[in-house]
Amino acid sequence: MANKRASVIALSDRLSPFQKIYLWLVAGFILGPFIPLIIQSFAFRWAWPDLLPSTWWLTQREKSPLPLAWDYVFSPYSLVVEATLNTVFIGCVVTVICLMICLPAARVLAREKFRGKSSFEFFLSMPLIVPEAAIGIALLMIFIYIGLAGTYLGIIIVHLIPTIPYMIRMLTAVYQGLGRDFEEQAMILGANRWQILRMVTLPMLLPGVVAGALFTFLVSTNIFLLTFFMGQGKIITLPTLLFSKISGGTLDASAAGITLVVTVPGIILLLITERFIKEEAFGKGFGN
Amino acid sequence: MSNTHELARLRREKRLMWLQLMPVMIVLVVLFGGALVLGVAQSLGFAPWFGVNTFPDFTYFGALWGGASFWTSLWLTLYYAIVSTVLSLIFGILLALALVRKFPSKTLYKYLYKLPLMIPYTVGIALAVIMLGNGGMLSRLMAFVGLIDDPSQFPQILKTHMGWGIIAVYVWKQTPFVALTIYAVLLGVGRETEEAAAILGANRRQIFFQVTLPQILPGVISSTLIIFAFNIGAFEAPFILGGGFPDTLPVVAWRYFNDADYTLQLQGMATVVSIALIAGGILYSYLAIYRRYERRIGRQ
Amino acid sequence: MKKLSYTVALIGGLMSSTAMAQDLEAFRDAVTSGNATWEDIEARAKEEGVVNLYYWGGSDQINIWMDRFATPGLAESGVTLNPVRITGTKDAVDLVLAELGAGKGLGEGSVDAIWVNGENFATLKRQNALFGAFADKLPNSANIEWNAEDPRALLNLRDFGIETNASEMPWSGEQYVCAVNTARVAEDDIPNTFAELKDYLTANPGKFSYVKPPHYIGNTFVQAAVYAHNPDGNGAVPFQSSVDELGAAELARLITPGLEYLKELDGLVLGGASGNARYPEDPSAQDGLFLNGEIDFSCGFGLYRVAVGLRDGTYPEGAAQFVFPEGNMIKNKNYLVIPANAPNPAAALVMTNYMASVAAQASKLEIAGMPPGIDPWLLADDEVAALTEASPGFVGITQAELDANTAPDTNATLVDVIEATWLEYIERDSSDPIEVIVERAVANLK
Repeated sequence: MANKRASVIALSDRLSPFQKIYLWLVAGFILGPFIPLIIQSFAFRWAWPDLLPSTWWLTQREKSPLPLAWDYVFSPYSLVVEATLNTVFIGCVVTVICLMICLPAARVLAREKFRGKSSFEFFLSMPLIVPEAAIGIALLMIFIYIGLAGTYLGIIIVHLIPTIPYMIRMLTAVYQGLGRDFEEQAMILGANRWQILRMVTLPMLLPGVVAGALFTFLVSTNIFLLTFFMGQGKIITLPTLLFSKISGGTLDASAAGITLVVTVPGIILLLITERFIKEEAFGKGFGN
Repeated sequence: MSNTHELARLRREKRLMWLQLMPVMIVLVVLFGGALVLGVAQSLGFAPWFGVNTFPDFTYFGALWGGASFWTSLWLTLYYAIVSTVLSLIFGILLALALVRKFPSKTLYKYLYKLPLMIPYTVGIALAVIMLGNGGMLSRLMAFVGLIDDPSQFPQILKTHMGWGIIAVYVWKQTPFVALTIYAVLLGVGRETEEAAAILGANRRQIFFQVTLPQILPGVISSTLIIFAFNIGAFEAPFILGGGFPDTLPVVAWRYFNDADYTLQLQGMATVVSIALIAGGILYSYLAIYRRYERRIGRQ
Repeated sequence: MKKLSYTVALIGGLMSSTAMAQDLEAFRDAVTSGNATWEDIEARAKEEGVVNLYYWGGSDQINIWMDRFATPGLAESGVTLNPVRITGTKDAVDLVLAELGAGKGLGEGSVDAIWVNGENFATLKRQNALFGAFADKLPNSANIEWNAEDPRALLNLRDFGIETNASEMPWSGEQYVCAVNTARVAEDDIPNTFAELKDYLTANPGKFSYVKPPHYIGNTFVQAAVYAHNPDGNGAVPFQSSVDELGAAELARLITPGLEYLKELDGLVLGGASGNARYPEDPSAQDGLFLNGEIDFSCGFGLYRVAVGLRDGTYPEGAAQFVFPEGNMIKNKNYLVIPANAPNPAAALVMTNYMASVAAQASKLEIAGMPPGIDPWLLADDEVAALTEASPGFVGITQAELDANTAPDTNATLVDVIEATWLEYIERDSSDPIEVIVERAVANLK
């Protein structure tokens, strides 16, 4: 009798009470800290031990000669707009270039065999293992030497290093799923190379390509150390701007506002990903 | 006749293949590999642009490894990395197991839990500062209920060598990553084996350890590999939330690089090369042990 | 034919660039010898069009002032200001030196001017990276006392004890002042000397911290402690000599009592009770601790820090300034320097002239709370009135008290040694005696 009860529970499709509490805790852990962050961005003075600001920003707006809190964040002095544009621009260009160079390489890796293939695959994964700190300064020296330090091109090239491993893995997995037979059948039926690419290969690749592109964009917009070194202070992105604001370890109203602004691209990315990508696509990239 | 045509076609195909691999190889081999080589060269004393050329010179490594603070820094780096990886793993698996079930507002939840994945670590650090600092929200809540009446009485979470602030940030960011990977694997595997085991009389614990866990093991290994590697080399969190001297190794390297004294730059290179070697060594052995385990159970 | 025209173009290009370089050098010589007229300089500046000012970008107020007030103000002279925010002045100095090392001379670098003082200026001077003596030759140089006979001219002629030779224009004058949270500290308990501070902390452990060296504000606290504990009792006097004049042994003898005091304080500051003293990395972190009541006192450069902080909400309502340390509130100036390879030297001259004008100094004072670097006794009455009106005001302290407790900054060559000694002796808890640490530091810096 007890056995049957146990198996019924094990077979159940519903959450156990423990799991229900756990899900609430996780949600609270992930989202809860945003509440004081939002409050701080609207505060003028919020000191210990107040649970709510003693003076709010809106009441002080006229009294100060300088823009405060959100006024400052959206003013040209905070460099938020410049940082956002740089981040998005670099992210898009990195994604496109990464896609262009990884697509043919992934095709080769999925289909061909050649000498040194396994060591090549290992080398492809090395940027995931070797930290940015290890290569950052040396890369900067190389780039100063070839004159690319502090330029957009320099940052874009450097962003390729951490993104290629992810993109190649996802594309290789997709190519492996896409058997040669479809293309061969289309060839037998008389299609030329271009038609095969357009009407057979690309539509079947598309989900994986989109997943890889979104993930690459995500990684590129979150990179701090490499952008900090390569940008040389001339080119700022959202991660470098935010880091310089909170590196002291305190958070004032404008820093809280900038943090929230930095979160927005992530939220947009989340909405896009969730609508178009299924969980399995991510799983394929990390399955091995 | 056709033989030479065949050979020519094969050779052309091979060339085409290498051509397709070229751009990726250029970026990785030339830039990434070049940076590694340059770093190693400098750590061994080759830096003519600073006026130093004593290659091969192991004194920088000797000075680094000879100091007691290096080993403390190494211990701290590994400790933060291991604890946060283990915690992220446990929390992530529990989350993934819950996600495969049905529950109301599951679609909304599937958006929510992925949020930390999409935003930079620095946001997580800002959240840690605002919640866990001595002047932060938890401290104020404790003051509100009367447990403390001065911020110094709040138990120190941030900026200590125990590193709970750093670990909290890593766990916050990486639990969704582990959960996502494991959830994807679980979806792919399906529930048939679980149900079969349940019908045969296994209880929940047995099902998890003997059915589910082996199935998700590849996902576990790959995700822990990635986050452990990241944690060893991470810079922002230990820099802002760390306990000061002795810092973790990436922060130590940063301090060397920022010093006015140029010889310390080479010491910094020795530090980053040490980090790369240690990270590479640990991860390689981790993978090797797993592969050996895979081969063993494959035979069984 | 093609080859010939190519060669001609190449030679022409080389000739014109050398001609340009010679022309710039002639300009520089004319300026530094006082032969250039202001109209010439202004005309050249309009041609150059842009000036790249590299400055520490960690203060929102200064950033806003640069973008909102300084840029339009300078545009009236036909020059566009390009304010470049940097995280550390040392980065700009490194850039100038790296470019000089790569052979980029006058007109070819990236940095037109840097906001600088102390060790960074000493580095530029030592490496011959200065444009030259320009600061006493501009129209607004009349606002600054250059007469070596006048003792009040000291900070215009010497920067951390190093002679400036008019190669940098004074921009702001500052004094080291501490703020107290009167809501948490009773008036009788406010310490004015280091001994009283130690007593206060013994009664209230962990209620104070100072910015950590190597940040210059941290160095200043250490210097003040060293002055106050000078075994010969003459405060800052011996620390005006350079490290070569003083010698490692003598320096060690002079700083030992001060460092011993700081070592004792290490157990009483924030976090000291648990053995892990926490020193904030920069002044904004320290202000955060001060706001939340984790520390009761906050020290740093900033005569108007409290007034501006109250205005912008970064300081608690009970914040006020007080006299500490008695007799050793270090006073110094900071400057705008033009490096030797400035790409737009004439525009840089016009910019520094603007920065020394009463209008710029007054708006800088009002918006960013930076005290004026020009000397008020040289100004007309209405100009002085404008400056007084623009001032955010002191909170809890008077000008007389500030003037009665001044001390000069330390010689730039000594700063590195003292900073290295603090790091070794207090942060790394070295058990070596101070003489050994100082000797090592002096040898390292050679």
